[in-house]
Amino acid sequence: MTANMPNTHILSIGFPAILASSVHDIKNSLTALRALLGQLENIYQDPKPTEFRQLEFETNRMNNSLMQLLTLYKIDLSQFSLAIDEHSASDILEDIVAQQSTLLSLSHIELTTECHGDLFCYCDSALISNALCTLVNNAQRYCRSKVLVSVAEEDDYIVFCIEDDGNGYPVNLLSSDYKQLPQVDLASGNTGLGLFFAETIAELHAQNDKRGFIVTDNESQFGGARFKLYLP
Amino acid sequence: MTIDLASKKILVVEDQAIMRETIKHILVSFGARHIIEAESGINAITSMRIDRFDIVLCDYNLLRGKNGQQVLEEARHLKLLPVRAIFIMVTCEQSQEMVLSAIENKPDDYLIKPFNRQQLLSRIERCYARKNYLVSIENEIDSGNLYQAIRNCERLLQQDDKKMRMQLLKMYAELTIKIGDFTTAEEIYQNILHERELPWARLGLGVVAFFLGYYDQAIKTFQDLIEQYPVMLEAYDWLVKTHESMGNDEHAVSSLNSAVTLSPLSILRQKKLALLADKTENLAIAKKAYTATIKLGKNSIHRSSGDYSGLANVYLKTNAANEALKILYELNQQFHNDPEAKLRAALLETEIHQAKGNKALAQQAYGKAQKLNEQFSKQLSRELRLEIAKTFYLNGNSEACDEILSDLVKTNIDDKLFIKDIVTMCDAIIGDNYAETLIQHVKKELIDINNKGVSLFQEGNIKGALAVFEKAITKMPDNHTITLNMIKIIIHDIKTSKPNPEKIASAQSYINKAIQIGIPHNQISGLQTELDTIQYKISQ
Repeated sequence: MTANMPNTHILSIGFPAILASSVHDIKNSLTALRALLGQLENIYQDPKPTEFRQLEFETNRMNNSLMQLLTLYKIDLSQFSLAIDEHSASDILEDIVAQQSTLLSLSHIELTTECHGDLFCYCDSALISNALCTLVNNAQRYCRSKVLVSVAEEDDYIVFCIEDDGNGYPVNLLSSDYKQLPQVDLASGNTGLGLFFAETIAELHAQNDKRGFIVTDNESQFGGARFKLYLP
Repeated sequence: MTIDLASKKILVVEDQAIMRETIKHILVSFGARHIIEAESGINAITSMRIDRFDIVLCDYNLLRGKNGQQVLEEARHLKLLPVRAIFIMVTCEQSQEMVLSAIENKPDDYLIKPFNRQQLLSRIERCYARKNYLVSIENEIDSGNLYQAIRNCERLLQQDDKKMRMQLLKMYAELTIKIGDFTTAEEIYQNILHERELPWARLGLGVVAFFLGYYDQAIKTFQDLIEQYPVMLEAYDWLVKTHESMGNDEHAVSSLNSAVTLSPLSILRQKKLALLADKTENLAIAKKAYTATIKLGKNSIHRSSGDYSGLANVYLKTNAANEALKILYELNQQFHNDPEAKLRAALLETEIHQAKGNKALAQQAYGKAQKLNEQFSKQLSRELRLEIAKTFYLNGNSEACDEILSDLVKTNIDDKLFIKDIVTMCDAIIGDNYAETLIQHVKKELIDINNKGVSLFQEGNIKGALAVFEKAITKMPDNHTITLNMIKIIIHDIKTSKPNPEKIASAQSYINKAIQIGIPHNQISGLQTELDTIQYKISQ
């Protein structure tokens, strides 16, 4: 009996509520942490210690992971809907650059964007830009000096493309089935969760019989990794 | 586009000092000079009473007191926000915004924590640009000139700004629904859906079906949307409305209950659920919803003594008279200067003491109710007045009951749902023919007034006709026929006499009112066109 007690206790509050308030608390802490980092950073003259860059990257990643955790959990519970509307592709690019701007200001990496034409996509823009931010955040870490984020129209799809000049994806992340979460690779620190998330979100976007999907390869025009997100 | 923050008044509502500091620091670095900080909802409201802000950044999860949504509701309700102002809600997670989504009063945009300086600026800029672009429409909506708002919408659409197109079409369709031009609304939504399946356009088609009375079609649309988008609360709200209009109150309760489970913090949904569940005798649900409404009401502009009396009444119905008295005690404590609250309490006390067999106490409470009614009868809500009529009748004062009921029928003759409530009450308590006779009598009276006014008009006695309708309108402010005739005569008067801006303004305000009280589009649009032609001629 006593062994069951804690379990009943959790059930009475409900795991979704526990998760939601934990995420809420952690997010508040993260927000405060970043605010403090900003204050600390202001004390230093340029060039600022490289640790700031690392800290910014890590807090970005913690934030992205939390958001992914919560979204995936809700999708699993079917308590989730996309907020689909028409969005300008250039606005989404702008959102990504804005999100990465602090990290960029602390590094020597060049992040460029290209929007081929007056493009509009039908999507949940907050989710799509979150998924893309995670990958751009990673690209910034694994590239040598540049990352390009571009949007173009391919057949009836809008395609977001992230290319870098790093060493490219390891073989285990080039799988054609991103639903198979790759073995956690603690050494590289890359679990593939970002790709898994992007694939899950892409798939939720559908128009008639078409669904969104992702592709990873090492065909970057700069010789590194290339990620493509297709939205119908 | 860049925004000149130096000229903008900005309010930052945030309970954490470090966050306030950071946001302020960022804003200052972008050139902002007028920044006011508030660490609680109540202080935010006070600040908005003193200053008219251009930009409000408000955290949703304020630790104590009002949350961000309650701040927004109160600010809009008290008209503390200029039409041009932007209100950005800062939240912790993205999907929260859908679940929070109140029935009305959405913020202009959301910003998800944590954010950096570039994200903050970019959000403000984009939001401000959009608001500025739409201000010519919003201004007209704010003054109730919906036809002018529609014309401004059409004008902007002609400019063919691709980024704003969908936003404009959405507003355009919503406005045409508001004036009752459902054919145009349907056409707009169909055209959008032809291009792309967008949930809000699909919802719009359901709304059009609802207003056209195609209830089965509306229900199917809303149910399909909910299946596809399980947390799309607007679809739930419309589903509830449709069930209600069909008379399926049980279905309405169950749909609304699902919506409330998804958005337990929305006070208006909780309130509506409490009333509907009460009406359908789902007393367990009603009790829970009333309790939640009272709790949420503590920090909300939507708090009402009716929530307390509702809960007390549910306790009474479940034979928990002492619990009911306890709630009434709390009601009196919370609303000690509010005559409506006191009257609600007195009415229920009468019933409770009668149920408990305390004749003397019941008589005492009844006396109190009578006295309060004499003092405040005209200020009371119609639902409460219906309650009073009932209590009067049950206590043998049928004369006072008659008086209230005949006034209620007179002032609400065009409101079918409320007239139905009156009929139901009368049939159950007074007798079958009572309400019918009363309604016939009022209708006859209306026809007489109308005939008198129209014949004066035909005799060429415009002044006399206007006087008849003006007098009638003070007695029956929401009456369709009288309002329409009033507009027709004023327009005729303008046409046949010297152009007079005051008369034109008066005609326009009656047209705006006609839309508000739900007079169909086909009866108003011709009059609006006539008035526009007159104005156009004058301006030439």
